[in-house]
Amino acid sequence: MKQHVRLPQKNHLTTFSFIGLLLLTYFISNPIFGQTENENKATSITKERIIKGIVSDETDVLLGVNIVQEGTVNGTTTNEKGEFTFPKKLNVGDVLLFSYIGYETQKVVIKEDTSFITLKLTLDAVTMIGTLDAGKPYKSKRKD
Amino acid sequence: MLFITANHSFAQISDFNHIDFKKADSIALSYTNEGLYNLPKLAFQLTNDLDTDAEKFRSIYFWVCHNISNNYSLYLRNKHQRHRLKNDSIKLKNWNDNFKKKLFKKLLKHNTTICTGYAYLVRELANLANIKCNIIQGYGRVSTTNIETLDLPNHSWNAVKLNDKWYLCDPTWASGIPNPKTNSFSFQYNNGFFLAEPKLFAVNHFPVDEKWSLIEDNAATFKEFLAAPIIYGKAYERLDNHILPKEMHQTIKRFENVRFEYQLKKQIQPKAVVFKIDNGTSIEKIEPMNISVQNSTLKIEHQFTKKGFYDVHLYLEDHLIATYTFKIKS
Repeated sequence: MKQHVRLPQKNHLTTFSFIGLLLLTYFISNPIFGQTENENKATSITKERIIKGIVSDETDVLLGVNIVQEGTVNGTTTNEKGEFTFPKKLNVGDVLLFSYIGYETQKVVIKEDTSFITLKLTLDAVTMIGTLDAGKPYKSKRKD
Repeated sequence: MLFITANHSFAQISDFNHIDFKKADSIALSYTNEGLYNLPKLAFQLTNDLDTDAEKFRSIYFWVCHNISNNYSLYLRNKHQRHRLKNDSIKLKNWNDNFKKKLFKKLLKHNTTICTGYAYLVRELANLANIKCNIIQGYGRVSTTNIETLDLPNHSWNAVKLNDKWYLCDPTWASGIPNPKTNSFSFQYNNGFFLAEPKLFAVNHFPVDEKWSLIEDNAATFKEFLAAPIIYGKAYERLDNHILPKEMHQTIKRFENVRFEYQLKKQIQPKAVVFKIDNGTSIEKIEPMNISVQNSTLKIEHQFTKKGFYDVHLYLEDHLIATYTFKIKS
């Protein structure tokens, strides 16, 4: 029984010392740790960042374009200048959906170097047609 | 070719008999009056709590059918212009581009549109929920249009891919009934247009790109489509297929036997089968001579005894299902 109790304790000790060793290695080997802000910014380009951009169609900037992170409700809309600032920091590989009624929805995947998105939406190519079914009985046209 | 072989002609709602759409429907109804200003958010709200693509699509479709009204004056204006400009492709394109912008503004601000607007919304919301869905452009035949001379595509609907199979639906005709006299629209949801049986659908829908009929063998030609009987919205609630007669206009002799045949969605009493016969001045309600209902097949046999020209309307349980014309010769 005693051995059963001791064994995990020993493991804890081993774990702690292992973490300690890791931390020590980190302090020694990571030159950025505890240094200036500038260098921190340099590394954050590959991590989370704020995305801004501007959306237009073939003639003008678009007000009210919805920009949503795919699979979430995180989102924003463009202002009267067509500009937006996405409210949440995004990572490489995150997908933004740009949607505006009547225009084709576009997806933009956040890449390593994405920080400002300039996007042109195109009007949906569909032809507008419609036929109503009023459910009224058919009536033949008769000559007389 | 791949497309055609991958499909089954019986792709219809009965594939989903094991799914209860109540949850999807109630989610859709809980977002009544939600605007269209944020489609990604709307798509998320309508689908996030549902597990299967069939339920997610149902919620989207149900929402569109219950929140978007059909605009009769927009429809008339467009129909008139498209007809006027049909031989001038540049002017027609310009008209369409300008009209489209107006139409989408109306849709956004007033939740009102014409067919393509419905099909567009269903497609957009479905795609935002990662469900494959297309707008299908084509010809729709209804009792009030000039059905023998459909010269331009006049209708839009959707095809949706669920569990690797394509299905058809018509959100416009499912949403309700327009009243041409008062320019108004009453919501009246018709569930028959949701994942409809392709063969019944083909009686009054003809896609410009014919593969979207989803019928593998013996799909009707355009000529056959134009000659087909008129069927009504209520037919979609009661029939799986309209089998006979294949043509709307029939010329026969007095006392000649005429056969009618339908595949029923659910059993009905023979008593509920009625013809209303319009001779141009009056309408007479009659019971067909011979009615049989067996294994959900309804067969009718009838003979006309008087010379003349008649519009013959089939009613099932007091609902207008189909119309034919009969010229009876001596």
